[in-house]
Amino acid sequence: MTATIDPALQTAALAALETAINQALALAPGSREQLARLGDCVFALHCTAPPVDAFLMPGRDRVRLLGVYEGPVTTSVRGVASDFAELATARDPAASLINGRLELHGDSAPLLELQKILAGLEVDWEAPLVDTLGDVAGHQLAQLLRGAWGWGRQASSSLGRQLEEFIHEEARLSPPRLELEDFYKDVQALGLRVDRLESRTRRLRKRLQQLRA
Amino acid sequence: MSDKERTHFGFKEVDKEAKASMVADVFHSVASRYDLMNDLMSAGIHRIWKRFTIELSGVRKGHSVLDIAGGTGDLAARFADIVGPEGAVVLADINESMLKVGRDKLLDSGHLGNLEFVQADAQYLPFPDDSFDCITIAFGLRNVTDKDKALRSMLRVLKPGGRLLVLEFSKPQNALLSKAYDAYSFKVLPVMGRLVANDSDSYQYLAESIRVHPDQETLKEMMEDAGFTRCEYHNMTGGVVALHKGIKA
Repeated sequence: MTATIDPALQTAALAALETAINQALALAPGSREQLARLGDCVFALHCTAPPVDAFLMPGRDRVRLLGVYEGPVTTSVRGVASDFAELATARDPAASLINGRLELHGDSAPLLELQKILAGLEVDWEAPLVDTLGDVAGHQLAQLLRGAWGWGRQASSSLGRQLEEFIHEEARLSPPRLELEDFYKDVQALGLRVDRLESRTRRLRKRLQQLRA
Repeated sequence: MSDKERTHFGFKEVDKEAKASMVADVFHSVASRYDLMNDLMSAGIHRIWKRFTIELSGVRKGHSVLDIAGGTGDLAARFADIVGPEGAVVLADINESMLKVGRDKLLDSGHLGNLEFVQADAQYLPFPDDSFDCITIAFGLRNVTDKDKALRSMLRVLKPGGRLLVLEFSKPQNALLSKAYDAYSFKVLPVMGRLVANDSDSYQYLAESIRVHPDQETLKEMMEDAGFTRCEYHNMTGGVVALHKGIKA
């Protein structure tokens, strides 16, 4: 629990977020079924800036978001808000967890599964629209929304890819991820060789001192 | 001069024996519009306060929970969902009208099987010792005639390690908020009560009873005196409401 935020404010924010997630899940039956598989899991999300703790508990047909939970948790993640945002939107969440700044305790597999489900939410707009507007208008509007949703996703993913390509290849503002990973590997290998060399030098120095004595 | 013990009924001083029936009259009068008035008076924030109470209760599947002064059953319904068929929830209220509204509401919403309804006085709880994992009393303690006796009674029926949660109006921690809150309580609430529930006196009593209720620190001391350990409280909405927690050792 954080002492700085009024518990009523934090609880209200979590309640609003919980309602939004559950409404989206109500329109995405496929994702809801997948989420039910994580029914026994409790995810602790400790955000250090802003200081907020939240506990996410997936259930059979809804998720619960709590500010206080005292039982055992499956996975605990700690970091700042931007790290959580990065994980939530990552195309490769495993790499984001390994290379990111989030501190993780417990089982990472259910967390990756949760990220995959929430990131790939397939919202079915048609049922509530048909109920409200009737078959013809509801179907037309649902198709429009489906198209806009799909286009938005595709456009954002394509924009991300193109931006990445521009930064790495055209403007050369930063090295590509693979190049950077190779560099890190080289640095790590060099570090190990230096360690080995240092211990060998220490051993030789010790032997020399013994011979002199 | 009367040698009977006196207590508060709002700003008035009344015989201890008379308070219970006076409070009962208030709740008989407001029972049918209780939920609507709660939503109007607090702009729905009472749901957030209750939600935090449920989070802090630590109630899990299989637990037994007693909700005293449970009124229209907001907390009891949620607890019944959490404890599941292996657990048990008792909704207790001293007021027959409130209990009837609560029972009808919960049964209509499909809550049955793990729920019991008991008309009981918080000072003399009709349950064996060490019966409950958690006891809650939300916006009820200030209406109890002898609060110390009620706290001791709750301690008795709580299991060792179990927790009591008292959600109650308290003292705002900011002078400006306190003034605004006073103006709202004494000017707006009775008018709202007259318009919606056709009863301004009951809502005048509500505002007065909040002012004579012990503040955060005093209630914490009362809980410690009753025998609770690790007592603490959380101020909500600037101290307008406080949630006190105590554990039975």
